[in-house]
Amino acid sequence: MSNINNKNIIAKIYKNLPIVLLFISVLNETDFNNLGLKYFSFNFSYILIFYFSVRKDNSLGYGLVFIAGLFNDVVTGLPIGISSLVYLFLCGAAAYLRNITLRPSMMKDWFFFLATVLLVKSMFFLILTFIFAYEINFFDEIGNIVFTFLLYFVFTYLFDFLEKFLLGSYYVR
Amino acid sequence: METSRDDFVIAIRSAFLKKGNQQRFSLLGLIFFSIIFMVLGSFNFKAVNYLKVAINEIVYRSSFIVSGPENFVKKNYSIITGHLNLYEDNKKNKFQLELLRTKDLSKKILILENTKYKKLIDDYYIQDNETYAKVLIDKQSPFLRSIIINKGSKNNIRLGMIVTDEGYLVGKIVEVNFFTSRVLLLSDINSKIPVSIQPGDIQAIMSGKGKKSGILQYIKSPRKIENEEESIVLTSGAGGVFKSGIPVGKIIKENQISEEYRIVDLYKDFSQLQYVKVVSFLKETESLDRSSKKDSKALTKQIAEENQKEETLRILLEQKKIAEEVRITIEEEINVLRNNNIKLQNQLLAANQTIEDNKIQKEDLKFIEMNILYGRKCKKTFYNNLYKTGTLEYKNCVMNKGLKTLNE
Repeated sequence: MSNINNKNIIAKIYKNLPIVLLFISVLNETDFNNLGLKYFSFNFSYILIFYFSVRKDNSLGYGLVFIAGLFNDVVTGLPIGISSLVYLFLCGAAAYLRNITLRPSMMKDWFFFLATVLLVKSMFFLILTFIFAYEINFFDEIGNIVFTFLLYFVFTYLFDFLEKFLLGSYYVR
Repeated sequence: METSRDDFVIAIRSAFLKKGNQQRFSLLGLIFFSIIFMVLGSFNFKAVNYLKVAINEIVYRSSFIVSGPENFVKKNYSIITGHLNLYEDNKKNKFQLELLRTKDLSKKILILENTKYKKLIDDYYIQDNETYAKVLIDKQSPFLRSIIINKGSKNNIRLGMIVTDEGYLVGKIVEVNFFTSRVLLLSDINSKIPVSIQPGDIQAIMSGKGKKSGILQYIKSPRKIENEEESIVLTSGAGGVFKSGIPVGKIIKENQISEEYRIVDLYKDFSQLQYVKVVSFLKETESLDRSSKKDSKALTKQIAEENQKEETLRILLEQKKIAEEVRITIEEEINVLRNNNIKLQNQLLAANQTIEDNKIQKEDLKFIEMNILYGRKCKKTFYNNLYKTGTLEYKNCVMNKGLKTLNE
């Protein structure tokens, strides 16, 4: 009986983990998006949002993702609303992929993630450059996109492992 | 073909319009909200600005709390590194201190002279407002390099105020909230500062580049810099945004890659900022016209006094140097004399020894002579009861010219 209760508590914690991680990554000073290394940076929030939107439906509330985006804009000093828009587009793309997928495949998710990141990043750069007149170093941004794409694979295994470790294979899809 | 398009539309509609089991808002609605925020924000719409200020206040404090553990680790790491490098740092600091002490007085005179000339050309700024602030967040984004400080409009912080650390320029205030403000760092790509390169007083615009460097654009005469091994970059004061003469960084010849753009090594490492000074400057209303000649005289007097002080100090230092040289010479002479003294003492001892030896030899010779003459008078034989040869009594007897003489 107590074992079942413990499992339920862990399952509840795991259910809220993505949103907690998202808010920590947004509010914390260390940003993987700007590690100070030449060409190496990646967007952890994108990986987190896409992975949990594809794999765990409803684990990230759209309202909370919207708020996290607003917080990110405030902390990094971007025009308010732009990160929310990007995050929500990621959620939308993930929801679309979930709707059209009958047999989930890791590789398909991975390449769809690349297409989505390219799309949302292009939109992001267009808005920043043409509407808000920001100067952007595109070499760094290409590096960011490439490493975000490559590390999605690593983080997928990491999140799967974490889920199995916390909940056991029964819960894992 | 028709079916495939229908599937696509259905999937898109389901993704963007349908609310999930636990979703309170539809995706499309929230996207619509984001766009509204962005558009109204770009037009500086009042309601959005108020919302932004409210979010800023909440988020900056939350971010400070969330970053607490990480900052604790960073701070301790910095303390440990500081302890490990303590000995080397102390050695360097001592050397620097000596160097700076000698430069300090000359600098004071230069400042006074500079003040006087600036007043003459009506370009003298006085510090208007000074506030010290703690850095709350230094989360760097690839699009905006900025820090958040814990002082806002409540503490009289205004847009455009200058932020410095240890006298070096850090950036300027670009956003003011009630309790907090955002500082745009010099390293930001969008930060453009009018600077002057010394020596040569070459005018340029500096933009941010990377973590601890800037890049010079629109250099008036780049050829002049090429000849210098190291040039200093200061704010020029052009445009009235920054006060002139605030140190920014230096250009080192060997670090340059291209001729068109010069890399400036900024003096401050912005990742190590903890406390900063926010200042604003005002142009002094009193320029040096006839009515303020008194000020000019006072300044000239002060400069003369400082010059006198420097001269006295220079003489004292010269005297000290001479005294030091004399002391060293005297010490050397004392050492030479000491060595000579030891040598002479040794010679004296050797001479005394020789004299002593001679004396003994002389006595021996006298004894031999006396022995030949009077030996038989003292020598013990079977018919007399005198002294045995070799004894002290025999020697005394011989030296006293025989027993008879001894008895007398």
